[in-house]
This record gives sequence, C-alpha cells and structure tokens, in this order.
Amino acid sequence: MLGFVEEIVLLLLDDSEGQVVELPVSAAHIVIAGAALMELALRNRIDTDVRTLIVVNPAPTGDDILDDALAHLHELGGDLNIPASLYGIAVRAEGYRQKALKRLVEHRVLRDQDGRFLWVSPTRQYPIIDDREQQEVRARLRQILLTDEIPDPRDVVLLCLVEASHLLGHVLSPEELKQTETRIGQLSRLDLIGQAVHRAVADIRSTVKHATSQVE
Amino acid sequence: MEFAQEQTGDVLVVRLAGRLDSSAAPGAEQTFAGVLGGGTPHLAIDLTQLEYISSAGLRVLLIVAKKVQQAQGKVALCGLTPNVREIFSISGFDAIFSIQPDAAAAIAAVR
Repeated sequence: MLGFVEEIVLLLLDDSEGQVVELPVSAAHIVIAGAALMELALRNRIDTDVRTLIVVNPAPTGDDILDDALAHLHELGGDLNIPASLYGIAVRAEGYRQKALKRLVEHRVLRDQDGRFLWVSPTRQYPIIDDREQQEVRARLRQILLTDEIPDPRDVVLLCLVEASHLLGHVLSPEELKQTETRIGQLSRLDLIGQAVHRAVADIRSTVKHATSQVE
Repeated sequence: MEFAQEQTGDVLVVRLAGRLDSSAAPGAEQTFAGVLGGGTPHLAIDLTQLEYISSAGLRVLLIVAKKVQQAQGKVALCGLTPNVREIFSISGFDAIFSIQPDAAAAIAAVR
C-alpha cells in the first residue's frame, strides 16, 4: 500500500502524459506537506487539536520522507499549530515529491523518461504504467461519497487531499459533484490538518488568480 | 483515560473520563473493539466526564461509528462539555453522530 505522499504525488500526475496537473506549485507543496502530516498523525507520531500540533512520539517511522518531516517538526518544537507546521513542512515538499516519484518508479507504477514541460525547461515525465492505485482511490472515494457509508480515517485523509487539489472532477461526474457537494463539505472537514490544507490551497489559488487578472 | 460500561436493557452505555488523546487512543480503540465484538450494537457514549479530545481521539470515535454502522447498529453521544463540543463542531463530527443532552436521551435515541 502506498503512503499518502506517494498517493497524492501519483494523483497529481496527468493520466496520459505524466505531467503535473494544473495546480500552482506552492499549492502542490502544501498538499504534499499535508499528506506527510496526516500520515504522521495516523502513525501516532503527532497529534492535533483546534489550537495546537504536538509531536507525541519522535521515534523514526522508517520512512525517510516522514522521518524528515517528523525531525523538522521536532526541531521547530515549542508552540506549534497546524498552519505553521504545514507551511514549515511545505518548504521541504519538493524534495518529498522527488523521493515519492523515485519510489513510484521503483514500484513500477510510473516510468521515468525525459520530457519537456511547456517550451522552456526540460523536465522529466512520469507516464503511468500501472494505474491500479489511482483506480482504487477513485473507487474508494466514489463509495464513500455516493453512499452514506461512514469513512474510515484513511478515507478521510484521501478525500481531503483530493478535494484540496481540485481533483474530485477526476472521480465524479459534474452531476455527481453537484449532488454530493454537501457531503464532500461535511466529510472533508473531519480532519483538522485536511481543513488547513484546504484553506492554504484556496488562499494560494486566490492569490494566483488575482495576480493573473492584474497582469491581464 | 477511564472507561466504564454498563448494560441498560439492550443498550450498552460507555462512559469516558479524562483525556482522549494520542496516548489514550490506542487503548480506547482496543477497548471499543472488545465491546463491539458481536451482535448488533446499540451504543450510548457518555462524555460528561471527558475533559479533552484531540484528533487522535476523534479518529477512535470515527472508527467506532463505522463499525457500528457496518453491524447495522446505532450509536449516540451525550454530555459533551463546551471544550469537546467546540472540537466536534469545528471538525464536523457533529454531523456524523447523533448528539444528545444526557444519557437517558442517548439511550432512547439508539433503541
């Protein structure tokens, strides 16, 4: 089973071309940081409430992405809260994304090839060679969104990450999205870190939109 | 955290006291798994003496709600203190659970 960081890095890749889907880079970094924090929470290394985030167990998990995030949170110490932790980890998220892509290639989920992004800088492409993980995530999210099934905590995290990344359009039809709007709102609130990810991504998108409209 | 249980007719009343946080969550999850062992659960969880609940504690309750739903049972919470009610409200857990003012109402809600 993939961890949340690999899962969201995979979902942020376009199905056919292996390029990153349209999301501001800083927003993608917030989502990846959120994935790491939520994984640490489910592994009982950190705990949160509405005001604080605390490292409850600094012992390494054995996963170098999570352990880097955990060590960084531990170093930050003191009175942490969720937004500050999220932004603190987001600055390291590009490194996590690269590690996650490498793992996905090693697991033969992705293929690594040279590509060209836009017309400026050469970059790598990661065509998907095994889409079972993506299909499983879609099936799981459809199940909890289109029925009254209570999600388990891992489902909630996936939903928060996919919703914050504006990827639910890849999971549900436009009609289904409209029908489930209230339920999406309810379920994606169930994780406090997920709420912070949603707010931070919305702020970034709003800033980018405003800046773009100023240029135009 | 303290955990007490009492059978009232066909309803199991569970009383939680103290703090339900990351240090208490694994034990609480295990204890709930024990009480949800078999049959169709009708569960009233009394939180009157619960001083604090963190995200780890909320996850325990989410797992309980899921297991009860899978077993086609019913669960209700009661006696939420202002602190606990605040985190339920902000996290949206008040939309997942039937929340009742006291144990008698919670028992009636799950019968």
